[in-house]
Amino acid sequence: MISSFGYYSLLTATLLSLLEIITYIKNYNQKNYVAHQFIFYKFSFYFIIISFILLIISFANSDFSIISVYENSHTAKPLFYKIAATWGNHEGSILLFILVISAYGYCFIISKRKIDNHLKATVVFIQNILLIIFLFFLLFTSNPFEKILPIPNEGLGLNPILQDPLLVIHPPFLYLGYVGFSLIFSLTLAALINNQFNIDWSKLAKNWIFLPWTFLTVGIGLGSFWAYYELGWGGYWFWDPVENASLMPWIAATALIHSVLVMEKTGKLFSWTAILALLTFILSLFGTFLVRSGVLNSVHAFANDPERGLYILIIISLLAFVSLSLFIIKIPKQTNENHFTFLSRENVIVINNYFLIFFLTVVIIGTTYPILLAAIVGKSISVGPQYYNSILAPFVFIFLLLMATGPFMKWKQSAFFYYKNIFISFLLLSVFIVTTLAVLLQQFNPLFLLGILTSCYLIISTFVDIFYKKNFKLIVTNLSRFFSHLGFAILILSITLNYFFSKELTTNIKLGENIAFDQFSIQFKDSKTKNESNYQELFGTFNIKNENMLIELHPSIRKYIQPSQFTSETSIKNNGMSDYYMAMDYSSVQSEGIGIRFYYNYFIRGIWLSFILITLGGCISFYTRRYDNKI
Amino acid sequence: MDVLVFIQGDMTTKSKLSLLAIILLIFFGAFYFSLQTKLKNDDLVMINKMLPAIKLQSLQDDSYVELPLQNKKNFYLINIWASWCVPCRQEHPLLMRLKKENNLAIYGINYKDNKSNAQKFLEELGNPYFFSGSDMDGSKAIEIGAYGVPETYLIDREGKIILKFIGPISNTNYEQIIQNIK
Amino acid sequence: MKKIFLTFFFINIFLSSVSLADDKQAIDIYKKIRCLVCQGQSLHDSNSDFAKDLKKIIKEKLDNKETDQQIYNYLTSRYGDWILLDTPVKQSTLLLWFIPIIVLIVGIIILFKRTVFEKSKLS
Repeated sequence: MISSFGYYSLLTATLLSLLEIITYIKNYNQKNYVAHQFIFYKFSFYFIIISFILLIISFANSDFSIISVYENSHTAKPLFYKIAATWGNHEGSILLFILVISAYGYCFIISKRKIDNHLKATVVFIQNILLIIFLFFLLFTSNPFEKILPIPNEGLGLNPILQDPLLVIHPPFLYLGYVGFSLIFSLTLAALINNQFNIDWSKLAKNWIFLPWTFLTVGIGLGSFWAYYELGWGGYWFWDPVENASLMPWIAATALIHSVLVMEKTGKLFSWTAILALLTFILSLFGTFLVRSGVLNSVHAFANDPERGLYILIIISLLAFVSLSLFIIKIPKQTNENHFTFLSRENVIVINNYFLIFFLTVVIIGTTYPILLAAIVGKSISVGPQYYNSILAPFVFIFLLLMATGPFMKWKQSAFFYYKNIFISFLLLSVFIVTTLAVLLQQFNPLFLLGILTSCYLIISTFVDIFYKKNFKLIVTNLSRFFSHLGFAILILSITLNYFFSKELTTNIKLGENIAFDQFSIQFKDSKTKNESNYQELFGTFNIKNENMLIELHPSIRKYIQPSQFTSETSIKNNGMSDYYMAMDYSSVQSEGIGIRFYYNYFIRGIWLSFILITLGGCISFYTRRYDNKI
Repeated sequence: MDVLVFIQGDMTTKSKLSLLAIILLIFFGAFYFSLQTKLKNDDLVMINKMLPAIKLQSLQDDSYVELPLQNKKNFYLINIWASWCVPCRQEHPLLMRLKKENNLAIYGINYKDNKSNAQKFLEELGNPYFFSGSDMDGSKAIEIGAYGVPETYLIDREGKIILKFIGPISNTNYEQIIQNIK
Repeated sequence: MKKIFLTFFFINIFLSSVSLADDKQAIDIYKKIRCLVCQGQSLHDSNSDFAKDLKKIIKEKLDNKETDQQIYNYLTSRYGDWILLDTPVKQSTLLLWFIPIIVLIVGIIILFKRTVFEKSKLS
């Protein structure tokens, strides 16, 4: 019953979107955009919401007459996770994907900002085309309301590793992020088609980049945090292909934010900005392809299907061809647009933009090379964290120095706001901090010294930058940069500290046994079992001694009933910015005791702090720019 | 900064479009092929390589066998198994047939097992092995490039690995083995 | 595994400096090896039986004074390059390592060509 309603409201939404397109084409010929209210588009959006809510209801009621509910839910599961299972599977997540495309278009329509009617109509037209493409994809390959007969009594359950509160909110944020780049894609194409790709466009575009960028930052941060405490491997970023898939559009969007700025302030970099805007969304789709098509070998592997992969691949290729062709044909010809004065702010931004593209290339190559090599030559190779770390690390340091310098330079001319001496004093202060830290911590590795030096330099300069502003208004307009740059500096600082001072031990331990390593000693004190509605849990009690400090950790192993599977729950306790972290493993041979993994994660909380700061920067930027000049 | 413009110089719009089309076709083709393959363990690494030297201690007594065999007379099979391994029971009848009907010498490697359980298993289901060796710590299995139990290797007269099966052998695998030893 | 651990523990008390150095070398290798029966984990991150067995063999080889390279060769000859998380530079991975370098060099040339050098007005 509900499933039919859901399906028909999806069909209605598709029909309405098609009607909207017909209306646009009719109006386009008559050059009549003023009266256009996007009624069909709005109602298509409402029907998509209805079908999404109906799907949530089906999951909440465990309506096993629907295949996707049967395959991904179970009656013994808490209601919260039943609802979360809606977007924890392929079909439901594509519906969420569509909802986000539609919602961004809707927000664009109702936004208060005054936008040229012609441009507005074209943007909605293109957004609508994207919507229809994915609606067709959903209806023909992944109908979330598809029925099953006879109706099963019980569902197959959701992967226990996904039964986690963070993972309930992680995908929606990720989607609001990278699917949200569809609007900047439409905005760019519409402006190119209408010959309105100009400085006014860049002012309008900024908000629609910051919004999804902020969501994506939160999504990546939550994903990283989830991997940290759920997987039990002690790390926060594994350069796993699925993680990389979300990082690719993030890097492109970060470059886009800065290049739009240059476009707005100097009237240069038009074609570069357009390419980045198109590329950001294409990379988001490419990420979807990598995750859904089954070409990857990853912890986060989604239920995948090569046939769906083929559809997504066709969609990407066609969208890339059409959009980039339009770019080639329509991009305004500009003279001298790509020449920059050596020591001007825009030049520093351009250099860093270039570094971002370099980082992006490394991530794309590292992620796709093994896939392509296996497809073409038939050889399987692995590209692990060592590849990314060794190639990226040296350039991140230069990147930080330029981030610190840019804000002190003037636009369009080789001039600094302040005296040259101020840079030297920053440098001296950073050198002092690094020397002190190196002596205190007894660590003289050049990578360590460089990481601390450059991140301290950036931290100092962001503070000086904000406090030297002449008036309050200038401080407010620069606040978003302050937070996001400070966040990035703390991120690199934390990663450096974490990399050099973390300690780890993987071993087996028996009840009562005491193990000493480095400055730690670990004692397996106690174990007990507990029964929950959908799993059995074995808890361990461990005493960790670090010099004079005593910490008790309680990691556990869960044995889930449906589907039958073991998961390991970590136990984490912090000491200042550092974490004591432990996970247990199920061991088939009882006599060997239980497998444990202990990590002392130095300064790891700095990484979470930096995510919060960067996100804050994004939010502030979105907020302060709301009332910018109208187009 | 604009890489496309830099590389192409003063290309016409038409040639830029054709270049774009070619690039995207290559992109599509490459990833289309990737859909057919899956990144995974490279099962074929050991094929056509000489079997690494292993010394198998007998499961029953003090005798031992050194592989690869030096007499170079016949093909033989190596089968990694354990009494606790469920799929091993599934492939067991096929191993018995290989021994009885095809007169193939099978060298069993008993993987991380309890000796009495292993003996019981063979008494219960029949012993397909010409020689049963023991591998208590799993080091012999790794030496020949195994991932776990069960796995089966066909070795030719020269001591080269011709076939490798991960998981229980199927009827098709059985036919393959017979084809190769003829 | 228990045996290794006990020996490790034992040696640790009496010859702490030597054994710690050895162990660091072992951990470095474990981190660069894929646990083949796991999903995307390194040997170091895994407590699976396969990982334990492989760690034991690597440890034995290190005790026999084999070099890291010999150990990697031993593993790849049996399990292929898939087992190495730390991608080696070889014929099949040339593009993987050199495309970023090419992008870097081309980028620097472009940036240089697009820059107008004028005397900076440092105040």
